[in-house]
Amino acid sequence: MSKIKMLPAMDKLRFSFIFLLFIVIKCESVNVDTVSSDIRFKNVDRTIDISSQLVKITSKLTLENTGGTPVKNFLLAVEQFAKNNVAFVGAKDSSGKDLRLVETTVKGHDQVRFWRVDLKDAVNAGSTAIVTVETVLTKALQPYPTAITQQEDQLVKYNGNLYTYSPYLVASQKTNVIINTKSVESFSKVKPFTQQDGAIQYGPYPNTKPFSEKELVIHYRNNSPFLTVTRVERLIEVSHWGNIAVEEVIEIEHSGARLKGPFSRYDYQQDHHSGPASVRSYKTLLPASASDVYYRDTNGNISTSNMKVKKDSVELDLRPRYPLFGGWRTHYTLGYNVPSYEYLYHTGNDYLLKMRIIDHIYDDMQVDELVTKIILPEGSTSVKANLPYAVTRLPDSLHFTYLDTKGRPVISFTKKNVVENHIQDFQLRYTFPRLLMLQEPLLVVGFLYALFLCVIIYVRLDFSIHKAEHHHKD
Amino acid sequence: MSLEIESMIRYTSPINPAVFPHLTILLLGIGIFFTAWFFVYEVTSTKLSRDLFKELTLSLVAALFSGFGILFLLLWVGIYV
Amino acid sequence: MPQTSTAKPGDGHSKGLFQNTAGFSTLITVTVLSLAWLAGFASRLFAVIRFESIIHEFDPWFNYRSTAYMVQHGFYNFLNWFDERAWYPLGRIVGGTVYPGLMITSGTIHWILHALNIPIHIRDICVFLAPVFSGLTAIATYLLTSELWSRGAGLFAACFIAIVPGYSSRSVAGSYDNEGIAIFALQFTYYLWLKSLKNGSVFWSICTALSYFYMVSAWGGYVFIINLIPLHVFLLLIMGRFSQRLFVSYSVFYIVGLLLSMQIPFVGFQPIRTSEHMAASGVFALLMAIGALKYLHSLNPKGQWKQLLILGGLIAAGTVFLAVVLLTYMGVIAPWSGRFYSLWDTTYAKIHIPIIASVSEHQPTTWSSFFFDLHVLVCTFPVGLWYCIKNVNDERVFVALYALSAVYFAGVMVRLMLTLTPVVCVLAGIAFSILLDLVLKEDEIPAPQVETEESKSLYDKAGKLKKRTHEPSQPLDAGLGMNVRSVTLILFMILLMLFCVHCTWATSNAYSSPSIVLASYGNDGSRKILDDFREAYGWLSQNTAEDARVMSWWDYGYQIAGMGNRTTLVDNNTWNNSHIALVGKAMASNETAAYEIMTMLDVDYVLVIFGGAIGYSGDDINKFIWMVRIAEGEHPKDIHEADYFTERGEYRVDSEASKTMLNCLMYKLSYYRYDSGGSPPGYDRTRGALPGNRGFKLTYLEEAYTTEHWLVRIYRVKKPDEFNRPRLPLAKRTVPTSNSISKKLALGGGPTTSKRRKGMMKNKPNIVKGKKAVKLE
Repeated sequence: MSKIKMLPAMDKLRFSFIFLLFIVIKCESVNVDTVSSDIRFKNVDRTIDISSQLVKITSKLTLENTGGTPVKNFLLAVEQFAKNNVAFVGAKDSSGKDLRLVETTVKGHDQVRFWRVDLKDAVNAGSTAIVTVETVLTKALQPYPTAITQQEDQLVKYNGNLYTYSPYLVASQKTNVIINTKSVESFSKVKPFTQQDGAIQYGPYPNTKPFSEKELVIHYRNNSPFLTVTRVERLIEVSHWGNIAVEEVIEIEHSGARLKGPFSRYDYQQDHHSGPASVRSYKTLLPASASDVYYRDTNGNISTSNMKVKKDSVELDLRPRYPLFGGWRTHYTLGYNVPSYEYLYHTGNDYLLKMRIIDHIYDDMQVDELVTKIILPEGSTSVKANLPYAVTRLPDSLHFTYLDTKGRPVISFTKKNVVENHIQDFQLRYTFPRLLMLQEPLLVVGFLYALFLCVIIYVRLDFSIHKAEHHHKD
Repeated sequence: MSLEIESMIRYTSPINPAVFPHLTILLLGIGIFFTAWFFVYEVTSTKLSRDLFKELTLSLVAALFSGFGILFLLLWVGIYV
Repeated sequence: MPQTSTAKPGDGHSKGLFQNTAGFSTLITVTVLSLAWLAGFASRLFAVIRFESIIHEFDPWFNYRSTAYMVQHGFYNFLNWFDERAWYPLGRIVGGTVYPGLMITSGTIHWILHALNIPIHIRDICVFLAPVFSGLTAIATYLLTSELWSRGAGLFAACFIAIVPGYSSRSVAGSYDNEGIAIFALQFTYYLWLKSLKNGSVFWSICTALSYFYMVSAWGGYVFIINLIPLHVFLLLIMGRFSQRLFVSYSVFYIVGLLLSMQIPFVGFQPIRTSEHMAASGVFALLMAIGALKYLHSLNPKGQWKQLLILGGLIAAGTVFLAVVLLTYMGVIAPWSGRFYSLWDTTYAKIHIPIIASVSEHQPTTWSSFFFDLHVLVCTFPVGLWYCIKNVNDERVFVALYALSAVYFAGVMVRLMLTLTPVVCVLAGIAFSILLDLVLKEDEIPAPQVETEESKSLYDKAGKLKKRTHEPSQPLDAGLGMNVRSVTLILFMILLMLFCVHCTWATSNAYSSPSIVLASYGNDGSRKILDDFREAYGWLSQNTAEDARVMSWWDYGYQIAGMGNRTTLVDNNTWNNSHIALVGKAMASNETAAYEIMTMLDVDYVLVIFGGAIGYSGDDINKFIWMVRIAEGEHPKDIHEADYFTERGEYRVDSEASKTMLNCLMYKLSYYRYDSGGSPPGYDRTRGALPGNRGFKLTYLEEAYTTEHWLVRIYRVKKPDEFNRPRLPLAKRTVPTSNSISKKLALGGGPTTSKRRKGMMKNKPNIVKGKKAVKLE
């Protein structure tokens, strides 16, 4: 929605970056890299934010080239125990520009996941560069105990690495863990550390070796909503009559500590602090131009929701039919319309659709499985998709709806483990002869005309049969 | 190829969605009028007074207007075909 | 409605003005009928506009669920569908225990629309099916009335039936039930029957049989047709109106209709094996005998045949009657079912079948509801009936019979008001048509001339009709002055207008509530939606195990299956009385006894409806006394109705209530930890009392979910390892035996004493259309 006023130059840059990334990602599986001994991290400043259900690690790396040749890239690594939790890895240079990341492997370290970061400007011998790396892990926080009663707070345990996991030597490092609560049950006490309200600082630790691990455990209260979207199916239907319809079928599960024992409505109604770990409602942000919003499930409309139109978005306050406690699930369908001029561009018969692969569902969301389907108008040909990150393309299919004859092409792709950082635009270009828009009304006209012709013929037939009699029947 | 997005212009509907209701009412009104005329003609004319050309013309006009009227009705109620 | 009043005079004028009168009257007919269709459709949409496109109430949820199943799995799989989600652990063979006409109708529409790439959800088709069919009913009524009287009367009747509350009560949008399409089938069958009787043609008779077949597939009320038509034939025979036309049309209809009706799996061999259908066979045999005698007569027209004919007819009738009685006695033909008995003996159900009596729509009709459902028509239809009898012919005998029998049935059961409504519309249409004929005639000076012409252009048999209209009209016509005419006209227009207003009001206020979504209105007129039912069913469907079994009173069975998608023990298809009684017993027992029953039935969750917090009167505590009664019918040793009343015979829940009442499962589940609801805390708004037993704990169950307004409460039955059994003193630690016997019998459906069996229905499953049970207050 905020993309409307984006500068063309930015757009261009972004697009070229996305496209390059796409091409590189396409041939990722053949990448093999080696760990360069010329690189060391002079300083690492790491922030681990575990105040929500996600683990968001932001590291500010000061890279130093101790070798003789310029360094063009370096490697990032993720520990074996966390490698399946990684949802997103991104890197930025000191000026805030995105850097290109490629997943790769290193011989001898089969259990570790590596990314190669390609620097914009090579780092010359002896000089340094600052790179900010952002990593988002899902499902890394374990509720402990795993089941709580209605009135209890939710306690979770974070298991991490006290040191930055890196294939290079780290000269000095500091870690700041944000937990946003004072009630900490226990945490790893490796000196030097300080505990301030809502945060724990570790370090500085000097000279940690490559691939060094030390357990970091924090057991603390975390009542932020632990919601997992187990599956979301996003359907984008493009109509050349000036509308793009979006429909999302969403299945949500409360993935925090399970509810143990009974649910008491009495307790729940008595005070509003009851059920601290439960989720009553959450906010979904839709594009500012969204209209005709509906929120329903298989049993019909869900009447408990509010819509607020803000300047740059439409804010939906969605309340499921029942509050979500640990282990409870719900599912719903959310749909809305947006005008085509927001997302659809054209020159002549060439069209380009630029929309988000996934949109905001709730803050700090985690999505297990995403399926995005794009329905193009009937008669669209030569469809090409540009995607900002690697997704699995599903086979194309056909969709039949009102006034269709041969079906509309459907482009669909899927991705697992999606977080907010994946809210990025895809681009889809296709060709559509404009004259084909007349096909639908002419279909109706043809049908009606055929009906009228039938009447004309019928009237004649009728009288020829009853010729002998008076016209007493009709 | 990636540069083309600049040269492209934002796509708007050939007909402004704001006028869908008016178009619907106008076109369907004319369409229904001609349909009614057609049917009245069909039932009131006798075998002798019936004119095939007039029937065909009437029905064609009725079908054209009703057809487009129905299309805009669909668009108006939110079925974007 | 206004279109009727304007159309009718228009009808008359146009005929005078234009040459091609047939064309113009067709045009007006078509216009009026399509407007009636539109008006009928629109007046049924209140619920959709106020709430949403949703299936209403109880039975429609089953119909919707089966339709959805059929659409998804195909017709043959539907016919073979064994639904293990109902009547746990028995299950239900759905294909063989439903009238599939409704599902096939909407399935066909769905199929056609999807073949045309119109992706309308099957739910929307189901929701809008009844309103669409109301238009077809209007057309069928028009045809029927035109056959009986005149096209003008037909138009009146069509407009009446389009909006009359007696019919729209069962056919509003969302009320997806058999009646919605069955009334159309009923009217259309009667129309075709009259048509075939008039023409004596095999073609029309076969059409009648086909339409009858559709009716059989759609609704159990087809029995009405298969008894009314033979009765008509029988009466015609008695009146000496035997003709070849009658002979041909009835014999063809009977044979083809019989064979076709046996094709419906649910009906099967009933048409030749049950008493309900014997009238048709008997009349058929009689007709054959008389036909044979007539034939013999025609061979020798001279002899003493007249007396012989009558004698032969009487003997034949006696023989047929005796044969039926004998066969019934021998057990070849099943006697009348209990539900049929309750039509003749209104107290029968109350004594023997409490489950039927517990349904509010099986109660006798009150006078006010006649007026409420039919308004002015109830006063005018006797006029039409009188004219029909006065100018009697074969068809009008039929409509007279139809009216008389329907009036009787409507008086017995509220529900059968539905069968009365169409005939009332027909007769009232005739009455209004006659009236307008009288009032508007003066405009045309050569009255008889025009009349003849008009009739000729309209009817097959102009001569007969001419005689009819002239006789009453001329003497009256002379007496009416200009002023009287206009005053009468205006009065009747006002009446019709009032009728329209009443119909719209009644449909909107009384019959357009989905009953699964409740709305409450604040003082400032703001509306608040109480969506507790869907909240609870949604919770069930998402947060319980896929195969969880939910125990609730049978009213909610279909909804739990439809919206919650969970296994139920009993549902609105109340075919197994003992199973229902077992659930009633569990609800009426104390917790320990109930737990035994629940473990035996593998119950995982118990669902009760509790309206005390918001003052909803249709809740389980108010229905509870019927649960007790039904349970007592099957388990007279364990449950006694008197235990649940106070000593003075009052039914109450406060501290003066009986001890059994305060400790039964239903009471505990309703009031467990109920302390909200205003001042004083825990006050029950529905019964206006403070519960007598409060602050108790549950041993064997735990609260699993309670909806926002406490309307639906779901409890989880604990597994044996999850609770501490209450300590028993050593002396009492013996194995109880008395209970287990009756349990085993009830579960296995084994032999019980004849006294107990009395109230039970036959082995064949009976569908009882259950809605709400009677409220006690």
